[in-house]
Amino acid sequence: MSRTLKQKLFEPPSIRQMAPGTKIIVYSILLLWTLFVLFPIYWVFITSFKTAVDVNAGPVFLPFIDFQPSLHAWKELFVFDYKDTLKAYSNSLIIALSSTIASVLIGSMAAYALARFEYKPKFGVILMFVIMMIIVFFAVGRYGVDWRLSCAVGVAIFVFLARALGHHFTKHLSNGDILFWMISQRILAPIVVVVPIYLMFQQVRLLDTHLAIILTYTVVNLPIVIWLMYDFFRSIPYDLEESAQLDGATRLGVFWDIVLPLSRTGLAATTLLVMILAWNEYLLALFLSTSKAQTMPILVAAMNAGERGILWWSMSVVIIVMIIPVIVLAIVLQRYISKGLLLGAVKG
Amino acid sequence: MTVVLDAVSKSFGAVKVLHDLSLEVQDGEFLVLLGASGSGKSTALRMIAGLETVSQGQISISGRDVTEELPKNRDVAMVFQSYALYPHKTVAENIGYPLKIRRLNRIDMEAQVRDVASQVQLDELLERYPRELSGGQRQRVALARAMVRRPAVFLMDEPLSNLDAKLRGHMRAELKHMQHELGITTIYVTHDQVEAMTLAHRVALLEGGKLQQLATPRTIYEDPANLFVAQFIGSPPMNVAHGTLDAGTFISGENRVATGGNDTVKNAVIGLRAEDCRVVAPEDGDIKARLFANELIGDHTLVTAKVGEDMLSIKAHKDFEASFDQPIGIAFDSEKIYLFDKDTGARIRNV
Repeated sequence: MSRTLKQKLFEPPSIRQMAPGTKIIVYSILLLWTLFVLFPIYWVFITSFKTAVDVNAGPVFLPFIDFQPSLHAWKELFVFDYKDTLKAYSNSLIIALSSTIASVLIGSMAAYALARFEYKPKFGVILMFVIMMIIVFFAVGRYGVDWRLSCAVGVAIFVFLARALGHHFTKHLSNGDILFWMISQRILAPIVVVVPIYLMFQQVRLLDTHLAIILTYTVVNLPIVIWLMYDFFRSIPYDLEESAQLDGATRLGVFWDIVLPLSRTGLAATTLLVMILAWNEYLLALFLSTSKAQTMPILVAAMNAGERGILWWSMSVVIIVMIIPVIVLAIVLQRYISKGLLLGAVKG
Repeated sequence: MTVVLDAVSKSFGAVKVLHDLSLEVQDGEFLVLLGASGSGKSTALRMIAGLETVSQGQISISGRDVTEELPKNRDVAMVFQSYALYPHKTVAENIGYPLKIRRLNRIDMEAQVRDVASQVQLDELLERYPRELSGGQRQRVALARAMVRRPAVFLMDEPLSNLDAKLRGHMRAELKHMQHELGITTIYVTHDQVEAMTLAHRVALLEGGKLQQLATPRTIYEDPANLFVAQFIGSPPMNVAHGTLDAGTFISGENRVATGGNDTVKNAVIGLRAEDCRVVAPEDGDIKARLFANELIGDHTLVTAKVGEDMLSIKAHKDFEASFDQPIGIAFDSEKIYLFDKDTGARIRNV
């Protein structure tokens, strides 16, 4: 059976149809790559059953042959120190899930608004707001004015000026500028803002709480959600929403019946990405938590800072239990990630 | 149900795209909004649907002022140019969506979906998804979805323009028949004059956001209100030549045509349809010309003649044959000519 030009150009032949020699080469490349990907996981897995002697004695690969597996690391973490481990585990779950839900919820709503409505914030008004904020900060910090009074007066003056002078400004920004401003929040390396964030939460006495870390993660991940979901919502033809409106659906009904089902691929992918980012985040958690709100990455790091040296076996145990939720989530969400969801909607 | 537009205007910022459009669509009428792209016809339709706000004026449907109503409260159904089918719903779910929103019970809903589907020959395809359908089938689904809830008004935005030529002709006839059967007031937007002439009870021709003429297809063809209408309708377009009016005679270059009418304006445009001209021997014609090209169309030959610097199309008999640059005469009846004011484009009628 000869292949069409389109197949020759764009569809690689299936391995079954290849010549035997090619087949062997392809399979060995695939095998090599599989080993490359799976070996670290295997290594972590067996290390979690090794004793200190086995780890330090040099590479040993096969349980029961090279070394005798032991449950000592698992026992230590889940029997003797189970309180600390479970605490960090539940902290991580609570923080990652809450911040993921919050950022996906808020971010996708913002993205939908940016994709569907045109905003024209006046440049002059924004500038006025920024200047007013600087003045308020100076008043509070430098001259010791009461912050409540200062904020109230500042806001009042801003509203008054914006109302009076707003229509004189002609230069205005567009949705593109708002989007760029959003993503610019991610251009700064987190290390730059981590100290101000620390001081801020110290001021309001929220250090070492779930709330502080959830809020920070939500804000940090919002730009990613907005950026990804904006593209996704844009790809849904507006005709579909107008059509649903004419069919009698309310604004919310349109979102529920049409937009949400059609963007579930994007939502699933974004959720997974943001969840992984929050789950693995280290730097901000290190600053914002000390003991009560400690997350798993902090626990992993603690394994190589103790006076007993690097506890490879314990670290491996923690890493394995850390991987599990991500795998579960990926399997659950994978069902929603499908291609060609929009096919047939409009004449292409 | 009737649709009334009362001096409706639309501006986008400083750009005015629709100027004081007033229309009255009768109950059961098939009205076509015809115009080139940018004429404001789609905007007018979208305003009737409620997808665009009204800058000035008032829109009423069935005697009720709906200017400030949401689309869902207007009882109109729309067929989009892109069909706008819901890709994650089956054909049956697509058609049934308007009923589902109205919380119709399952049994009635299925019955009505089946009923409508059989009217547009979709019975066999109810479980398919839009991506598994051909263009014509998708078009039918969009139509069925609009039909299923018996709206007061059908709105159609170039529904046939994405189909290939053969299917378009077929769907045109079906659409006309269906509208007659259902008797639902229909407003149909198109840029295709053939669609407009064949489908409409009345045609509203728009240009530059202004209504040029609102009349039956026959009237709009035979009695155009102005030069724009005359040139827009008809294939090939009406022949025109610029000249002056003097003592009941139209003068253009060396050619003189008796108009038998008044000379209200000096600068005028004369119009003559291709099928009203005859090719005759050079000495017998009203105008002398040279043959530029002749093309056999099938049922007639399209002759292009050069009169001075102007080109003139003539529909001649299909057996007509002539050589390039051959001198010919063109004859016509003087009552078949149209005269227009050159400056305003307005029709000059004989008193």
